[in-house]
Amino acid sequence: MIELRQVWKRFGDRVALRPMDLIVRAGETVALVGPNGAGKSTALRILAGVVQPTGGTAKIKGNIAYVAQRLGVPQTTVVADLATLVANARGLTQNAVDAALASAGLGDRMHSTLRDLSGGQRQRVLLALATVGNVGALLLDEPGISLDLDGAEHIRDAIAAARQRGAAVLFSSHHLPDVAMLAERIVLLVDGGIVAQGSLAELAAAAGVPCNAGLADPPIERIYRVLVKRSRGIGPAKAA
Amino acid sequence: MTAALLRFELAAARSGRTAPFFAAGFALVCIAIAVVGLSAGGTITVQGFARTSISLLQLILWVVPLLALLTGAATGAECYELEYVAALPIRRSQIVLSRWAAWVTALGAALFVGLGSAGVVIAVLAGAADGFRYVGLLVVAGLLLSACLAIGLAVGIHTRDRGRALAFAIVVWCVLAVGVDLIAIGLLAILPAGTASWPLSLLLIANPVDAARVLGIGLFNADAVAGPTGAALRAMMGGWRVVLLVAGLVGWTVLPLVWAARRLARSDL
Repeated sequence: MIELRQVWKRFGDRVALRPMDLIVRAGETVALVGPNGAGKSTALRILAGVVQPTGGTAKIKGNIAYVAQRLGVPQTTVVADLATLVANARGLTQNAVDAALASAGLGDRMHSTLRDLSGGQRQRVLLALATVGNVGALLLDEPGISLDLDGAEHIRDAIAAARQRGAAVLFSSHHLPDVAMLAERIVLLVDGGIVAQGSLAELAAAAGVPCNAGLADPPIERIYRVLVKRSRGIGPAKAA
Repeated sequence: MTAALLRFELAAARSGRTAPFFAAGFALVCIAIAVVGLSAGGTITVQGFARTSISLLQLILWVVPLLALLTGAATGAECYELEYVAALPIRRSQIVLSRWAAWVTALGAALFVGLGSAGVVIAVLAGAADGFRYVGLLVVAGLLLSACLAIGLAVGIHTRDRGRALAFAIVVWCVLAVGVDLIAIGLLAILPAGTASWPLSLLLIANPVDAARVLGIGLFNADAVAGPTGAALRAMMGGWRVVLLVAGLVGWTVLPLVWAARRLARSDL
């Protein structure tokens, strides 16, 4: 389970995240959406423990699997060395991490450096190693960024697999069709605060957008635009 | 510190070109000093260990701190790029310690290869007399390397930005290599006769480069050229000065590492 209680963060004079409450239960998938600078990455980084909150408490039950927007490992790292490090840090066997890499289609790249891999392969290495073993919470910051169709599908499969194993999944994304497909609950952040949250249907109702729009104008994008505009123009939208 | 984390950091240290270049450069310069040192007499002769070591000491005192400070500063600043590693159940202090250990190993091995290959040439061509002193010089260089790497790491973790860290490291190197000596000379000029021994001795221990210089000179019983701080320490501490100097260098390793680990643990990545 993931729990944020009145968590907020200030970087110098700028408040990146206003006091935020959020609970993601085991087996639930929640997406953080919002414009750039809305506080999505900050919330995820606080949960991952790489950024300290200015106030409030962040709790996670179980192991954390975190894949950041940036690589987070030197590009010269050899895949096998990273696998050994993850196995050692998480108390897993070497066979378990090797099998995870093999199932991600990277068994033959164990002796490559991350620099030698494509962007999609790198993402698959990091995700495969992060999610191996018993994971309590899966945190993904813009996981589909710059990925091809296969890479994006791999991310979707990894999220679904983690959810099935009972992990609480929290991810941020600008790719709204993925959000609509994967998330049971969507949290809209604008300027560091939550302005709306709920299922897609609940957000559609809050935005006054019918859910039967065609593919050329997916409803989630219209819902997003209406709610972001309303939060900035008229004031915070009420949660559905 | 887990062995896996150390292996991970060692792989990163090995992947760059710093250590091989350092080893090759040092070997070439050491051999050149051994061979060229006596060529002023008209013939090319290889110097023995004692004379070569005295010549090499000055090179070590300039090059080793500079390289270690720059490497430490760069790798210290890069600690903030280890988001993936920091999200694993690994303490930040372990990251700092393993990073330092990996670079001490990589650069120490380069130093050993560089000085060692020159040592083999000298031993074959000029005999093995005073060879143990040459080994002592290698130990002093290792202590200096370890202290300056720790200081560099602290600088990098403090500044966060690689460019600023490198600039800061060069400033620190100038202070250690030249600045403290200028302060010592100033103290000698200002303080009344007979009262400068304690301040000068403290100044010596407070500067790892000076401490290594006096230790290195002491290896060859050439204390007379140890400078004002070395003379002051000899007058104050007598035979204990070696222990004190080594303790000073170890202190310059431990304290910056502790500070850097605490700083990184409290910082946002």
